Amino acid sequence: MTSIDVRELTKEYGGRRVVDGLDFSVRPGRVTGFLGPNGAGKSTTFRLLLGLDRPTAGTATIGGEAYPRLREPLRRVGALLDAGAAHGSRTARDHLLALAASNRVPARRVDTVLEETGLAAVARRRVRTYSLGMRQRLGIAAALLGDPEVVLLDEPANGLDPEGIIWIRALLRRLAAEGRTVLVSSHLMGETAAFADHLLILGRGRLLADTPVREFIHARVRPHVRIRTTDPAALSDLLARHGHDASRDEAGTWIVRHTRVDDLGRLMSEAGVPVLELATREATLEEAYLDLTASETEFTAPPQEA
Amino acid sequence: MSFAPALHAEWIKIRTLRSLLGALAAILVATAAFSALAATDADDSDPLFSVFFGINFGQVAAIAFGTTAVASEFRGGALRLTLSAVPDRGRWFVAKATAIALPALAVGLLTGFVTLLVGRSVLGASAPGWSAGLRGAVGCGVHLTLMALFAAGLATVLRSGMATLSVLIPFLLIVSFVVGDLSGGVADFLPDRAGQVALHSGWDGTLGPWSGLAVTALWAAAALLAGAWSLRRRDV
Repeated sequence: MTSIDVRELTKEYGGRRVVDGLDFSVRPGRVTGFLGPNGAGKSTTFRLLLGLDRPTAGTATIGGEAYPRLREPLRRVGALLDAGAAHGSRTARDHLLALAASNRVPARRVDTVLEETGLAAVARRRVRTYSLGMRQRLGIAAALLGDPEVVLLDEPANGLDPEGIIWIRALLRRLAAEGRTVLVSSHLMGETAAFADHLLILGRGRLLADTPVREFIHARVRPHVRIRTTDPAALSDLLARHGHDASRDEAGTWIVRHTRVDDLGRLMSEAGVPVLELATREATLEEAYLDLTASETEFTAPPQEA
Repeated sequence: MSFAPALHAEWIKIRTLRSLLGALAAILVATAAFSALAATDADDSDPLFSVFFGINFGQVAAIAFGTTAVASEFRGGALRLTLSAVPDRGRWFVAKATAIALPALAVGLLTGFVTLLVGRSVLGASAPGWSAGLRGAVGCGVHLTLMALFAAGLATVLRSGMATLSVLIPFLLIVSFVVGDLSGGVADFLPDRAGQVALHSGWDGTLGPWSGLAVTALWAAAALLAGAWSLRRRDV
């Protein structure tokens, strides 16, 4: 069982704290989503984990060992950091063969991971002819090359088409089900919630949340119901009588907080209030995340009218 | 973890890049072709250098080879992937330098002997003797290898192929050429000049053929050490 353990990890660049006292563990057998706005320190944390950058303070270990001390590290840990890491003039197969040789990974693994990532047909083409999505797949192939028990992927869904997104969800679920330790970064809440069991949320280098996805949704996502009616007076009266916290915008749409469609639907039907629309608001998960990271986002764009 | 897998990986990287194979071929073609051209119009003052004159062009190809082999690691995060596979940076760098030196030496020696044979057939009666010719051929191979390693070390410090070539090419074409003709003493110790003493029939400076190659080897070693130091010290 291989865990990732990060203790008081800090990294400064020219006096700026990019990673600030991070403390967390990533457990095997589940997918851990590493979430944060761009610039929150996710990629720096990955580089610190792999010994590519030296921490200003603190430690990062994999299975109790610092990464640079691992023997043949690709057989223990697979990582995707940069989709552009493969040289454009080399074929995907040659790129992986060189990587495999460095850790004495048998060459047949190269064909296995090319097959697994759907690149077998284009394996002998130069990487420069690849789309961003294909380069991401090649990066993932490189991460899986040594059949590692720990998989670290930095924004793997970047540039993937919808089919690729579905594929990577299934892949991550499978890797976790096989008992591997899977850490996947993203800046997209909805996407991450679709495959992660556990969340680490980062803002400006600090850990904001370390929580199971279900608990995050339960604690942070307030159920909202959207209602439109032809009889606003009757609806207003009904909501007030049942003590619901409701508000109405200029377009005449009501938002009712802390309730569920099931309850409101029955109430409105019994009171004979006509219904034009009755729906659960979907964006709340994203909002909970934005709410959590808003103050921590470094470059906040001025809010735009939708 | 042993050294051999890292070397194997670096060798695969070299033989799978067409630009690197092209640079290796250019070492041979440029040296031999320009030597043959120059030999058709040579006087008798320095028959050995009449045979190896083309090394001035061949060493540009050798520099391009050493530079490109290293510079390919400094684009698109390639070095991060490389060092995540081989985290011991010292060992990786020795593997990289070895993977550059071995093919450069093989091609360099081949270039030396091909150039010697071509030059002797062009020059005919005025050709250098076999013992001087052999010294020239071996010196040619060693000098080209050292220039490739010198460039590789510099490219590791500068972390860019473009920057390395913008330093080295003008240096070879202008500084060394002009300064070399102006003043004897110090210019003899420049990396490209010192190693080329082995390619002349006679020498009047401080450096002889082997001490000249040793000076170029010191330049290459200094560049590689600076590269290793930079690699160890910096985040990637």
